[in-house]
Amino acid sequence: MSDGLITFSDVSRFYGEALGVNRVKLAIPPGITSLVGPNGSGKTTLMNLMSGLIRPTRGEIRVLGVSPDRPEELCRILGYCAQFDAFPKGLTGFQFIHSFLRIRAMTEEECQRHTWTALETVSMADAAHRSLAAYSKGMRQRIKLAQAIAHDPRVIVLDEPLNGLDPLARAETIELFRKWGAEGRHVIVSSHILHEVDRISDQVILLSQGYVVAEGQIQGVRSEVKDQPMQILVRCNQPGRLAASLFQQDHVVEAKIHPDGKSVLLRTTDADRFYLLLNRVVMEAGLEVESVAPADDDVNSVYQYLIGAEGGAV
Amino acid sequence: MAVYKKTYRPYEGGVTAGWKRFLTIPRYALEDLQRSRFLNIFYIASFAYPVIAAIVIYLEHNLAALQGLSAEKIAAVVSIDSGFFMSFLGWQSMLALFLAAFIGPGLVSPDLANNALSLYLARPFSRTEYVLGKLSVLLLLMSLMTWVPGLLLFSYQGYLEGQGWMAANARIAAGLFFGAWIWILLLSLLALALSAWVKWKPAAGALMFGIFFVAAGFGQAINQVEDTKWGLLLSVPSVIGTLWVWLFEGNRSQSTGGVFFRLDRSAVIPVEDCWATLAALCLICLYMLARKIRGAEVVK
Amino acid sequence: MNSVLHQIAAVIRLELKKTFFTRRGWWVYMLALAPVGLTLLHTVTMSRFQAYGRRGHSLYTDTEIFAFLFQTYFLRLGIFFGCVGIFSNLFRAEMLEKTLHYYFLAPIRREWLVIGKYLSGLLVAVVVFGVSVGLSMYLVGRHQGAAWSSFFSNGPGMGQLAQYLLIALLACIGYGAVFVFAGLFVRNPMIPAAVVWVWENLNPFLPSFLKKLSVIFYLKSLAPVTLPVRTPTPISFLMVDTEPVPAHYAVPGLLLVALAILIYAAIAARRAEISYSE
Repeated sequence: MSDGLITFSDVSRFYGEALGVNRVKLAIPPGITSLVGPNGSGKTTLMNLMSGLIRPTRGEIRVLGVSPDRPEELCRILGYCAQFDAFPKGLTGFQFIHSFLRIRAMTEEECQRHTWTALETVSMADAAHRSLAAYSKGMRQRIKLAQAIAHDPRVIVLDEPLNGLDPLARAETIELFRKWGAEGRHVIVSSHILHEVDRISDQVILLSQGYVVAEGQIQGVRSEVKDQPMQILVRCNQPGRLAASLFQQDHVVEAKIHPDGKSVLLRTTDADRFYLLLNRVVMEAGLEVESVAPADDDVNSVYQYLIGAEGGAV
Repeated sequence: MAVYKKTYRPYEGGVTAGWKRFLTIPRYALEDLQRSRFLNIFYIASFAYPVIAAIVIYLEHNLAALQGLSAEKIAAVVSIDSGFFMSFLGWQSMLALFLAAFIGPGLVSPDLANNALSLYLARPFSRTEYVLGKLSVLLLLMSLMTWVPGLLLFSYQGYLEGQGWMAANARIAAGLFFGAWIWILLLSLLALALSAWVKWKPAAGALMFGIFFVAAGFGQAINQVEDTKWGLLLSVPSVIGTLWVWLFEGNRSQSTGGVFFRLDRSAVIPVEDCWATLAALCLICLYMLARKIRGAEVVK
Repeated sequence: MNSVLHQIAAVIRLELKKTFFTRRGWWVYMLALAPVGLTLLHTVTMSRFQAYGRRGHSLYTDTEIFAFLFQTYFLRLGIFFGCVGIFSNLFRAEMLEKTLHYYFLAPIRREWLVIGKYLSGLLVAVVVFGVSVGLSMYLVGRHQGAAWSSFFSNGPGMGQLAQYLLIALLACIGYGAVFVFAGLFVRNPMIPAAVVWVWENLNPFLPSFLKKLSVIFYLKSLAPVTLPVRTPTPISFLMVDTEPVPAHYAVPGLLLVALAILIYAAIAARRAEISYSE
């Protein structure tokens, strides 16, 4: 069973006396997993650990059952697009991808085919024979991505993959992540752009100061944050009346009418009881409800609740 | 009527005089260097030879301090003459080469790598002042290793020997001062020029040693293959050694220079050619610096 | 096994593409080609001597000159510093440019990566210095005309050239192993280079068992022409006087030393991590 997961068993990594990550226990299933946390929280350390670029000081890691100590096996199933904006000197985009595919002992035809497929995937085929040194920041980011996925890996690790991409390329790249996630691959993404993480992630791992603060599906994580009342936005024809009825309950701690007069934002410490109560009030008062939606179960809110104060800006 | 609130106030405090503005660079650079434990130990250790030389001078004049050795034996072993001071300068100059190879490459290359040069030159600070500031770091440190202790030793010997000795050997003092300055100026220019052109600090340091040893070896090979002596012009130690001998002893010199800077008596090159070689080397270094020390870089 | 060879070949090909005849390696080519220029000048000078009826060098003198050039320049300076530049950069330059992770993320055993990089460096060093040795030896006596051709075709010339090339190859193998190791583990390769250089030159003063831990020790005995004793010169401290070792002992001895260093480098590379910030 664990062969289909990326597992961290009580993993710690120290850089001398500085902490990288500490006591990390994770089992990452297929799909898109986002690593979220402020600078220095341990995102890149976690990625480097799972790709074998660094070793844990303590604990054990398995990537689909393979130990990162065996790069010759691990790197057949894993592709890593690292954050470093650096390339081997004197190569074209095509040569960059092709040369590292040759090291995988593929035949020339296979290398050619994989290289072109990867280049076309990131829309870089036209610039294939230009020198890497002449690429723009966005092109460099895309060629790195192409190199990481050229061998068709089952695990794709991407450190800040959207950096430097224009909005169109960003949207295309996010679509690629979705496609890979839907195919059942592991796509591990770290990003500072929380609303994009929110849009694409199947699950998130929140890190702060080297510790995993929360992990799982974002709604589940949000519901576990008990000390912060949940925010729910209800659009209806009589928001004032609804607010007055609900605010009588002790678990509803705040009700705020939206300036447009068509919705009310409510904060409750018990979401389950709130929804039951809401149904009752709506039925009794005969209100016309247009929509009911949680207003703070996105990554941004969860991040602010769990890390915000200590983590600062991401 | 519109009212525009003016909040900008230009700096009205005192400014450093133009002529000493370049001293800002050594002030910070020396502070940085002080933090390196290795460099501190190396620098302190580099004064071992001057201390030993001072002890030797003292013993030379206080033979009673040595029991069991006759005055003749001591006098035969050590004689405080131009050879003694040239050997002193040779040792200290070799240590200066190491110092320049360690700290020189880190003086300019980080400014170039981090685009800091435009920040310097965007202020009332010229390219010349920048180079002068960086040079002064090396010149100061190497002066304290070479001619300063050299002249102190000379004065000490003169004090023990009497006024007449100093006057009779004034050429040694001049040799120490100018001989050391030739070497440290060449080293400083070379270190800065290589630092401006070679991004990787260890490579720039290695190149300094390369110019010292490999060029000398190739010069020797030229002499052998072409049956000539002009290959020695590629050998910095031979060129410097020739100039030192001339500075210390004049045209009638018989000695073979200081340790590490010896010359082959069978193949002596004219002093004028040595001066010309050094001048050419310094000009090349200055040209290299002029090409790289610029506020803006043209990217092809 | 076939796929391992395939992988090593791919590493070599990529390294050559990146480093062979690139601008940054100009000084290595200068080091290698300087003697070619010098011997070319020599042959021109000697030809002019002969044209004016003056007596040039004898064939024996030319072989002796080349022996001197080879032992003092090629072996102790050119090949030594060339190997410092070529081999210590194989890993160190990748760390500085933050590109080593591309290799570490390829499914290749680190041991094969070390071998591949080492072989690519060896290929460059051997080609560059081999060509230089060959050309220099050919040019040094070119002015002898038919006698020089005969020296190669009927005399000991070809054998001597083969011996010089063998020594150059062995020097590249030995120094290459030392500096590929140094480049992997020492941040500033100038320090190991200086240490090795001093070590090699201290060789005559070392006890017998320590002498064997030196590349020069094995190469000295293979030289086809013995250098005459000369008067001391300003760089006479470059001369290393090692005891002669039989060739059948020197060649495998040096190969074993190089192999031992490479094995250690390969094992240690397996534990290497990417930490560019250090």
